[in-house]
Amino acid sequence: MVEIALLAFAVLVILLSLGVPLPYCFGAGLMVMALVGEVTFKGMMLWGFSQLTNPILLAIPLFVFAGTIMSVSGIAASLLKFVNIFVGRVRGGLGVVASISCAIIGAISGSGLTGIAAIGPLLIPEMERKGYPRAYATALIANSSILGLLIPPSVTMIVYGWVTETSILASFLATLGPGLLIMLNFAIVNLVMARKFPLVLDEEVSFSETIKLAGNNTIHAIPALLMPVIILGGIYGGIMTPTEAAAVAVIYALPVGFMIYRGLTWKKFLEAGKESATAVGAILIMILFSLMLSQLFVMEDIPQALVESIFEITQDKTVLLIMVTLFLFAIGMVVNDITAIILTAPLLMPLMSALGVSPIQFAAIMGVTTAMGGVTPPYASILYLGARIGKVKFTEVIKPAMILLLFGYLPVVVLVLVWPGLSEYIPAMMGY
Amino acid sequence: METLFRYTLAILISTVAGMQFVQVITRYVFETPIMGLEEVAVIPTLWLYILGAVNASREDTQIRANVLEIFLKTERARHILLVVSESISLVISGWLTYWAWDYFQYAVRVSKETPTLYLPTLIYESALFIGLLLMTLYVLLHLSRHVRVLLAGGAEVDKLIDHEHPHTDELDEFQLLSPKEDRNNG
Repeated sequence: MVEIALLAFAVLVILLSLGVPLPYCFGAGLMVMALVGEVTFKGMMLWGFSQLTNPILLAIPLFVFAGTIMSVSGIAASLLKFVNIFVGRVRGGLGVVASISCAIIGAISGSGLTGIAAIGPLLIPEMERKGYPRAYATALIANSSILGLLIPPSVTMIVYGWVTETSILASFLATLGPGLLIMLNFAIVNLVMARKFPLVLDEEVSFSETIKLAGNNTIHAIPALLMPVIILGGIYGGIMTPTEAAAVAVIYALPVGFMIYRGLTWKKFLEAGKESATAVGAILIMILFSLMLSQLFVMEDIPQALVESIFEITQDKTVLLIMVTLFLFAIGMVVNDITAIILTAPLLMPLMSALGVSPIQFAAIMGVTTAMGGVTPPYASILYLGARIGKVKFTEVIKPAMILLLFGYLPVVVLVLVWPGLSEYIPAMMGY
Repeated sequence: METLFRYTLAILISTVAGMQFVQVITRYVFETPIMGLEEVAVIPTLWLYILGAVNASREDTQIRANVLEIFLKTERARHILLVVSESISLVISGWLTYWAWDYFQYAVRVSKETPTLYLPTLIYESALFIGLLLMTLYVLLHLSRHVRVLLAGGAEVDKLIDHEHPHTDELDEFQLLSPKEDRNNG
């Protein structure tokens, strides 16, 4: 049966490479198992569909909806002004603003796209005016944008927690440490690189003026900044489940969008509802068929057989961890992070357990390696979008983006692998 | 059709959020959760997932790995690849719809009810078959569109693909997330 399972996986990968939509790739895997492996499919639809009634999955559309409403409300400008108070006047400070703002907007939206989509159009022209090369500004914001996938709440981690039966609250926190470290690294790499640029610095203002400005900007940013406080405070304070917190976030986002920032219109609200539902529908239909396939694999003991086959080759933990990371990185380069997790987490989890890697550390390994795929060629979807927003050629963005990845991101990937504390310390502090 | 989906999906997602919010308020503020609300909430939730997926098929925004496209030169090659992938999708979608039909028939035969409010579960169990049927029809529609483009030929299919700025799904999402006035500044 292992051979049939491998055939199913091979067919899945071939179809995926041909550009067949992911739900059908998983469907093809199911077809192979049912038609070639003669595994009974009776009752599978009933089983799979009933899994979708799990309330935790509902957190996905609600977080996506709340994040989209907040993003279309025009919070980006307020956040940028707020972060600028603290670091804007330092040489290279605007690049630091980019990195921190993307992390904050990630905590509000839970998406890897919002940073570049909401902050890019405002900050790229501003950075260019201040002397940063346009391609560099674009690369920095696009790379920082993926922090949205690592700073909680993160849709990716809900999916991970659900498919691997790991605490979602612990999974959220697993990527927080690595995410903050990447943000810090990007800021440092930026400060070093900015020394080469002919930067125009803001004029010095008096202390009293700075205080006044800081007060105004902070007050304006508070409604946006309160969103992650409500979500994460509600969840980790033990008041609400993630799904309930997500629903509260939606309700909170409405008056903030309509009445405070006023960027939200009725038309945008409808569009946000449709876009969120569509994005979530595309994810969940894929989850439905991938779950069925995983279930068939589990019924046939495939993950365990896979672990045994891998252990016949080597049992060296370091070698296996490096191989798994490279594999995840390769998968992340061709599919998005959620797909990569759905595709590989159920298969790799038993291997990780056998190696003594905790599900929390594995959450961080999966999170950081797959998120990187969005800005890594050949299919760097977030970088493509960045190039379009920044109105620069994709080939011009690659070089600065790779420098940032090499010195800002990759060291953290290595740290996540060799230092379990980086991902486990914060969850442990919160009792997970 | 766009308006129909826009309103339906926005209403569904708002209803689901509203129901969860009411549950939070009644449970934590009034300390009296509404009985059966969770049973009712399953209905818009599952329809939201399935109709969201149908709309993704309608808009052709199902999640794909478009990695091969990067190596293609012309629109003709891209359309040929899409004809191949849509044909394969059609067969698989048809097979999955067959099994969803099997499940639908079972749900009709058993006609279960929810434990508290005695609502027929068919209200939401029918979503899978209806959804997959619609998704299969949209695959067929996209397939015929690509075949028509290829058969028509001309300048449209000979056009070179812009690899510096490829059109990805993220770009469509950006249209919503980014305010218009800001886009014009860039």
